[in-house]
Amino acid sequence: MSNHKKSKHTNNRKKVEGTVSSAFSRFKNSLKQKRYGGILLLIGLITSLFMSVPLIYVVVRSFFAGKDRWLKLLDGRIPELLWNTLSLTAAVTFTSVLLGVTLAWIVQRTDLPGRHIWSWVLALPLVIPPYVGAVAYLIVLGPTGWVRDIWDKYAFLPGEFSFDIYTFWGVYLVLTLFTYPYVYLIVSAAMRRLNRNFEEVARSQGMNMWQVFWKVNVPLLRPAIGAGAILIALYVISDFGAIAMLRYMTFTSAIYYQMGSYDNLSATVLSVVLIAITLLILWGESRVQRKGDYTQSASGAASKPKEIPLGKWKIATISFLSFIFFIAVALPVIVLIYWSVIGFQEGALDSKFWIYAFNSLKVSGLAALISMILALPIVYLKSRYPSVLSKIIDKLSYSGYALPGVIVALGIIFVFNNTPLYNTFFLIVIAFIIRFLPQAMQAQEASLSLVSPRIDEAAQSLGQPPWKIMFTVILPSILPGIMAGGALVFVSSIKELPATLLLRPPGYDTMAIRIWVEASEALYHLAAPHALFIILFSIIPLRYMLKIHK
Amino acid sequence: MNKSIKYLISIIGLLAIFALAACGGNSDEGTEKDTEGTNEKVSEGSGELVVYSSRNEKFMEPLLDKFEEESGITVNLLSGKDEIINKVKEEGKNAHGDILISNDIGALEHLRQNDFLQGYEAEGIESIDEKYRAEDNSWYGLSARTRVLMYNKDEITEEEMPKTIAELADDKWKDQFGITRGGNGSMVAHVSALRNEWGDEKTLEWLKDIKNNAAIITDGHGDLRRAVGAGEVKMALVNNYYYHQQLDEPTDNNVGVVYPDQGEDEMGAFVNAAGVGFINHAPNEENAKAFLDWVMKPENQREFSYASMEVPINPDIDPVEEAAKITDYKVSDMPLRDLGDVWEDTRELIEESGLDLEIGS
Repeated sequence: MSNHKKSKHTNNRKKVEGTVSSAFSRFKNSLKQKRYGGILLLIGLITSLFMSVPLIYVVVRSFFAGKDRWLKLLDGRIPELLWNTLSLTAAVTFTSVLLGVTLAWIVQRTDLPGRHIWSWVLALPLVIPPYVGAVAYLIVLGPTGWVRDIWDKYAFLPGEFSFDIYTFWGVYLVLTLFTYPYVYLIVSAAMRRLNRNFEEVARSQGMNMWQVFWKVNVPLLRPAIGAGAILIALYVISDFGAIAMLRYMTFTSAIYYQMGSYDNLSATVLSVVLIAITLLILWGESRVQRKGDYTQSASGAASKPKEIPLGKWKIATISFLSFIFFIAVALPVIVLIYWSVIGFQEGALDSKFWIYAFNSLKVSGLAALISMILALPIVYLKSRYPSVLSKIIDKLSYSGYALPGVIVALGIIFVFNNTPLYNTFFLIVIAFIIRFLPQAMQAQEASLSLVSPRIDEAAQSLGQPPWKIMFTVILPSILPGIMAGGALVFVSSIKELPATLLLRPPGYDTMAIRIWVEASEALYHLAAPHALFIILFSIIPLRYMLKIHK
Repeated sequence: MNKSIKYLISIIGLLAIFALAACGGNSDEGTEKDTEGTNEKVSEGSGELVVYSSRNEKFMEPLLDKFEEESGITVNLLSGKDEIINKVKEEGKNAHGDILISNDIGALEHLRQNDFLQGYEAEGIESIDEKYRAEDNSWYGLSARTRVLMYNKDEITEEEMPKTIAELADDKWKDQFGITRGGNGSMVAHVSALRNEWGDEKTLEWLKDIKNNAAIITDGHGDLRRAVGAGEVKMALVNNYYYHQQLDEPTDNNVGVVYPDQGEDEMGAFVNAAGVGFINHAPNEENAKAFLDWVMKPENQREFSYASMEVPINPDIDPVEEAAKITDYKVSDMPLRDLGDVWEDTRELIEESGLDLEIGS
């Protein structure tokens, strides 16, 4: 009896071994057949794991937070944070979409004078990081701000100045002003590509301007509007600087304070909820995109279409655009220049200023350089050796992109706590790479899609391994894309605040940190020069960004 | 290749070279060090000193610059808020900091009790009253910080002001004052003292009430003094030197101060101290000792408290001009060392009241 059992058991084991080995040989065969890209695959895999491990670790650690901590947070803290975060995200996204689409339509479809200038001027708020915008608006609208001074000086203004910037509305205003360009740029680009024939037909059928806009333009623009809205929603839920400076509390700022004052485990619990919200938003986007599958014949706008005459609305329209430009670009820049001048007079440009600038350039430059190199194998694999694995690598590499810097920092602290890298500036560089590598990937992908795979195949037929082809054939032809990707990573890095704040080693301050520290002490003359510097650097890739959206 | 791309490439190329040069320079060193200057300077010390500080950076800079200059030791400062205390705890045996400067004796004593600090007999330690230093001298206080109610004289008169801390819980003061969030170090210590006086139940009630009553809740006290100066709120619960700082401002400086709970049978104003601690397993032990000796010199003690306009704990050193001497008013008799025992519990109590993360209006 027992013998029988035993033999059955060994039989089973043999069977299992058999299937395993056959599966393995099949896998090996498929490797040979499909060509996974050899060593490049390995590099890509390591990179993508490196990108996702800190975040996975945050989620894993949250399970060790204990039932009590979860219940306490779910009960007390989370509902309020949920409301704060979601209401702000919804309000800012809605308004930004409204503003962005309106501006895009005016610039793209009407006979607005100076359209070419307007088209890039209206994208300029993008170069002002929202926390810098928050500083500017604190100076203008804050409790001791310029507006209050003017208000109190002139008797004809009724009552006392009573706008409180430290409220939902202050945060809402600042975030909307400095994020709407995402929608504006994407929708403008889509509008330029729209086949004008649809609009012409609709108009010839007697539809008026509004009907054309709602029935023809909006449905066709839905993917573009959706993409812009997602960018803004993700930005709002991940923003730390502007929200903290304006004394508002969302998940992101709560995680930051939680890490500071209490324990990292509570921070992991909040992080998991925030990750869930992020995934929900991304899932919603993928659904919207799938539903709206509108294809159109390419380059349909062969004939230069008629512009809608503004007529008597011309003055009003120009005033509106000027107003937006004034509050989103001119005013903040004037404020910063004003305080920078005061700062320069009081000697803000001392040796320390240059050390901070140098530190900023060092970590951002390093992050850009490494991102340019790491993105290449991933992008190349995805395009030339598509497989399940290369798809997974691609997706994993995006894990840090959508998530707030505070969560990335939390994960990095967990992983690197007891290594020699801890308390060195390399942790900041790692955080930047995890957060911004996908920007380098996107730019390289755009370039690579223009290079014909025939070139690779020709090289392959000469017996070259994939990594060699990538370096000798592909790299030179997509160099502009690589450089542009590096520029994007560089600028995002130089603006980054929360991860830098949490990971900086002693004695290592960057410009972003100085803006945060000085502004929280209301020492605006010390914060403003750094802010101007960061804006100047952010202008670099704007030309490129305007280009890809054309 | 068009023009703008060329432009981009040249910029990125420059940056890349720059970055490479930057990290090349550092990798030789292994750890991050600014060896420039210190090598050439012939002086007693060398190397670095890592200072963790939960104290306002502007208060620390003159002192640390002076030390750097006199000793030849490079100071690397990590300045933050109370997260620094947690950083010390998290690093534990793998410590990266040498010296901890804290605004709250409770935090220092809490760290000492959990073996995160080490004892050291600094030269001249006798000049500090035993009440204000650790049993093993692993930390000592240097400047006093008294909790006061600062008010805007345009908005309210001294007679109308509340006379005790407990009164802030009264509906009468709804939406008229500002406080910091409960996670702020000075606030935590103050709440500890209140627990000592009132017990947990009454303290929790009080916390909930002031959370409701406060017109603004800020992250730090700098925001509060400016809010009072600007008339954004009538008054705020701050440390005394914030009042002195606001008096010094060119504008918005019509402010006054009330030392609370001065009545016959009342607890007296709560005094905390800022001080220095010697971190256990400090990587630069000798430099840390040099700093601890150096800061005991009377001129440096003065520097420690003057930059923030605090009152020196050493009675031989005169306070700044506007400041009331510590002997001029009634102070709470709770020994500061006791704050360490309750440091963690107090945080839990504050968390329970919901004031810990609260910020806003």
